[in-house]
Amino acid sequence: MKRIGLIFNGVWSQYAVATAPKYRELYDLVYIHELTSERIASLDALVIPFQSNQPALEARKNILYGFLAAGKKIAVFGDSTPLWLDAQWEDRPVNNYWWVKTPDQPPIAHTDRTHPVFAGLAPRHACWHIHGVYTRLPENSRVIQRNAEQEIVTWETERYGGALFVSTLDPMVEHGIQQIRHLDHFVDSLTTWLCGETPTGLFTIDRAAYGVRTVPGVAAGAGVG
Amino acid sequence: MLRAALISNGLSGLDHAYTSNERIAYRVETIAPGWSPDFSSDDLVIAPNGTDHVALLAVRDHVRTFLDDGGALACCCGWFTDWVPGNRWVHDNAHPTREVELRLASDRHGLFAGVDLGKLNVDRHGIRGWWACGYIEPAPGAEVVLVDTWGRAIVVVDEVSTGGFQLLTASGPLGDYRRDGDTDDGLARVYRNFLAHLNQRKLVTA
Repeated sequence: MKRIGLIFNGVWSQYAVATAPKYRELYDLVYIHELTSERIASLDALVIPFQSNQPALEARKNILYGFLAAGKKIAVFGDSTPLWLDAQWEDRPVNNYWWVKTPDQPPIAHTDRTHPVFAGLAPRHACWHIHGVYTRLPENSRVIQRNAEQEIVTWETERYGGALFVSTLDPMVEHGIQQIRHLDHFVDSLTTWLCGETPTGLFTIDRAAYGVRTVPGVAAGAGVG
Repeated sequence: MLRAALISNGLSGLDHAYTSNERIAYRVETIAPGWSPDFSSDDLVIAPNGTDHVALLAVRDHVRTFLDDGGALACCCGWFTDWVPGNRWVHDNAHPTREVELRLASDRHGLFAGVDLGKLNVDRHGIRGWWACGYIEPAPGAEVVLVDTWGRAIVVVDEVSTGGFQLLTASGPLGDYRRDGDTDDGLARVYRNFLAHLNQRKLVTA
């Protein structure tokens, strides 16, 4: 049974994760233009990945906070805007080549390994590259990761009910792209924390999922067109 | 001057690579509930990297009509849905990126003229295989421009499936990325060669 909704902006890498045989029994593609409280009522958690539709999230933020108020979890990755998330994200140059040029200086310098997502991860698996930092958080938030300049990369709060986990890492999009091959560790740990089930095996691709005229979980007409 | 519709699904940063100039005027076509785009005044529709292929599937007939009327499409993203006429993109992770070597197979329109393929194969930070993902199953008769180590289509020009012109990449971003540090013998040059060809084509067909 699908347990986690992946808020879906029609982006191929998001689709690649949710349709991969390893993850497709757990992840449910929830097309952003079809997001309603009823659509996500049966799910334990939501993931809002990098490359999400920020204006569309703003228009549906009450649904997201209602989900949190029910005690459920939401994980947010990449950028965001204060129009739907009460925090300030700021852009920074993306350094996705540090492992070639300065392998002893990763973009994340400090990680709180008491958090369940990071507890079992090797340092290399908790950090690849980041998309900006947060310069303001909601009150009573817990900082989980910082860069070398002490800027905030990952944080969490329970002030809205369930856990809201936010990071400028981009695990779902990069895992879907499959150019970084160690992200099973992070995504599997995240999945376990979100729903209590741990995916097994390697990330594989189902060729039949490509070139489709119907998208799993998405209504015909797709809320647009 | 070309008139281009840039499909937007709410991602930030699109303006980095698509800024209007003397050669091309962009308008942003924003996906929203009830989306029904009118491409009748456009010469070019751009589906940029990270675009919404669910929404594009929903308007595939609009795209087809636009192409059959002689329009041009640039799809620089992995179209996992069947909205690109005649051609299919398939994701693949069978080979590590360090084994990827792209080479030119054909270039009837000079899209890669002046391009240093070495910079596509190894970026300025020394990383190989960064640009493309998966491969294209091209339409019969389409021109396969760029292939990978295993001979699979990575860039395709299709002038046979419709009445228009399609430039398709296997998910490789394409635009004028000079503002992001790209040099003029890389992707920015491919994109500018593409626009030059479309301008020439527009003059011929006008």
